[in-house]
Amino acid sequence: MITTPNLINKVVSGITTWARVNSPWIIHFNSGSCNGCDIEILATLTPYYDIERFGIKLKGSPRHADVLICTGPVTRQARDRLLRIYEQMPEPKFVVAVGSCGISGGTFAGCYNIVGHIDEVLPVDAYIPGCPPRPEAIIDGVVKLLTHLKNGTRPEPIKPQLGEQA
Amino acid sequence: METILAITSIMFFPAGISLILGGMLYEWADRKLVARFQNRIGPRWFQPLADTIKLISKEEIQPLGVNQALFFGLPIVALAGALTAALYVPIFGLQPAHSFPGDLIVTLYLLSLLTMCTGLAGWNSDSRFSIVGATRTLTQLFAYEAPFLLALLGPAMAADSWQISKIVAYTQTHWMIVLQPVGFVIALIGLMGKLELPPFDAPEAETEIVAGALTEYSGRGLALFHIGKSVEMVIGVTLVTAFYLGGLGNPLIFLAKTLGLLLVMAFLQSVLVRLRIDQTVGMWWRAGAILALLQILALIVLK
Repeated sequence: MITTPNLINKVVSGITTWARVNSPWIIHFNSGSCNGCDIEILATLTPYYDIERFGIKLKGSPRHADVLICTGPVTRQARDRLLRIYEQMPEPKFVVAVGSCGISGGTFAGCYNIVGHIDEVLPVDAYIPGCPPRPEAIIDGVVKLLTHLKNGTRPEPIKPQLGEQA
Repeated sequence: METILAITSIMFFPAGISLILGGMLYEWADRKLVARFQNRIGPRWFQPLADTIKLISKEEIQPLGVNQALFFGLPIVALAGALTAALYVPIFGLQPAHSFPGDLIVTLYLLSLLTMCTGLAGWNSDSRFSIVGATRTLTQLFAYEAPFLLALLGPAMAADSWQISKIVAYTQTHWMIVLQPVGFVIALIGLMGKLELPPFDAPEAETEIVAGALTEYSGRGLALFHIGKSVEMVIGVTLVTAFYLGGLGNPLIFLAKTLGLLLVMAFLQSVLVRLRIDQTVGMWWRAGAILALLQILALIVLK
């Protein structure tokens, strides 16, 4: 008798995880990259790669999206906008950093107008390296994030210390 | 006994759960067909179900400055309107659950309820994108609603009745697509306008106004609007098929006919580009309404 609520919880969480893994809607934000990664992301969304197979859909509104795909280093101008977009997304939400600049600052590292790489501002769940990464690499990164979600092995992202910089 | 019947007909069949699942299947068929027209593989069969469950299990954000009762009530009213309309329509080729003289008009108004709720929701959301989207939704409603109504009026006038079951009994022996081809084209395109499919997707144009009237909706509200839209798709396709493509007959053949109609709609969606909102309105009033009126006039004269 005592285990019944646990069983129900387990079934419900299993169903929601299944739905979440099979229907990630993405939103794409450029926080100061050179546009190379953005072109590759748009190429990923074309019929040639057809990521609707995995249920992935590009959404215009952050309120509809589950995954924030973010490119480039975070400039001082874009930092507040990036945070605002992130906060507008409903829970649970995930962030994918695309490209070398998003991971380390890349060629922009150390510039006067740069806050830093993306995980200094947002908790990032998956990193996709490359300058720019090929569409196959982007699909692979998103699928890896989904696999971790499915197995429940998503590492707790390190919360960045907001307000420390800028 | 009667109350139990009424509750079952609202909760399970023909409205309720079976209709929602049917709507998801139709939505999947539409998306899959569009994908095939674009030479893609397209979504898997459970895609709309996964989307809906995911949206329901997500957080629902209430933006600042909205009327809370309206914000949470409108999606429910929209879905309820669409589900209620199903009671008077021969869903999946079966006889309608309820029927009374004049239920055609009631059904059409219940179908418009979803659009009105979307417009109100956009106006209530207090965001510039959703207000632009709401304006476009309601403008477009005024464009396609009258020609669509006139197009469905043609078979009703031929059958001499405003009752869906009687019209359907008449169209079973008279193929209206042959007798009133203009009405069929207007009804089909009007249905695409009603469902805001391309080329009439200006109200939710992603490249211009984010997501239109539903920009601020997340989670459950968005899911309910989505379900309402797919339910409306089932009802609209059923109505046009029953009125113009030879009535009910065998449910399996009827289902095949609705899928054929869906194929035509998916083809039009993939080959046409989005019209500007003024082009939509101009097209409907300059061509659609006049053609529909001419057909009605011909009916009156010839009858």
